[in-house]
Amino acid sequence: MGDMSDVNGEESFDGGESFDGEDLGLDLLEEELRRGAAILDPLPAELRRIAVEAFVLHDLDARIAELTFDSVVDAIPVRGAVDVPRMLTFHAGGLTVDVELSAQGLMGQVLPPQTARVEVLRGLRATAPLTTDDMGRFVYGESPAGPFALRLRTDEGVLVTDWLTV
Amino acid sequence: MERGEVGAQVRSAVDGDAAAWKALVEGLSPLVWSVVRSHRLSDADAHEVYQTVWFRFAQHLGRIREPDKAGSWLASTARHECLKVLKSMRRLTPTDDPQLLDRVSEDRTPEQSLLDLEEADAQTERIRHLWQEFEELGERCRQLLRVLMASPPPSYQEVSAALGIAVGSIGPLRQRCLRRLRARLEARGAV
Repeated sequence: MGDMSDVNGEESFDGGESFDGEDLGLDLLEEELRRGAAILDPLPAELRRIAVEAFVLHDLDARIAELTFDSVVDAIPVRGAVDVPRMLTFHAGGLTVDVELSAQGLMGQVLPPQTARVEVLRGLRATAPLTTDDMGRFVYGESPAGPFALRLRTDEGVLVTDWLTV
Repeated sequence: MERGEVGAQVRSAVDGDAAAWKALVEGLSPLVWSVVRSHRLSDADAHEVYQTVWFRFAQHLGRIREPDKAGSWLASTARHECLKVLKSMRRLTPTDDPQLLDRVSEDRTPEQSLLDLEEADAQTERIRHLWQEFEELGERCRQLLRVLMASPPPSYQEVSAALGIAVGSIGPLRQRCLRRLRARLEARGAV
């Protein structure tokens, strides 16, 4: 995806050496594009505001549970299968959080099984905390579309999973 | 914004300085936006990825190994999140957050923005033509130029992180793509 070598395979009119003044001309053209982007494809002010507000997510006390498996990236797709749930695994120290996302919602399990309070973070809003059952399982009956993370409060402290886009 | 300040701003933000965080957003959000827009995502996906990148940055702030290179960290995170969204062939239902949808619709469409321009018609026309030709460039050129269009201009390190290409190849590619764009403009007699 990041390979740009196919540029070489396109038209050949631009293969010549650069000449005096050309670089300046190209700089001006780039500057003009920059002005064009500012008018035609600007960063929406609302998104800038959300990024400023995101500072509340900076929490030195919370441990991060890193995403170590994401079926979107790590699994081999099953031919013809539709509506396959997305499987995620997060790790922090000896603790694992398995999550299964589908259009119906979210099912998760904290391992080793333990009591934890789980909040589903959707953008800058958190849902009312869920409590895991004695198998460490929890269920959230809504599809968390958009930016998503989980915040868990266990006996050992607060844990937040890596953010991802659902 | 001087990119040299980024490292100091990250360190201040880690210590809880909200103004430093705001300065980081002001300075680097155009870069994140450019990287997201350089990938072929729907508007809704682009908005969500942009947010995810900043949420992750806020979350990882105190653990970023090279604060001076926060721009590259953001660009790289944006790239990976874009690729992942493109790869998840069938996303869950699109966002149904009416609040967010309403907010988004408040933004000006390109057409409205152009109408807002009070400059001479000639300049409006020129920008419109420039943008049309840019959109019709090959995918690789379109992608590279969209990242370069961030304001302030990104460093080549950041462009490299944004697109997964070697720093050394960016200059020649940039030249090639800008020449190609200029040739297209000349062909339509718009220069």
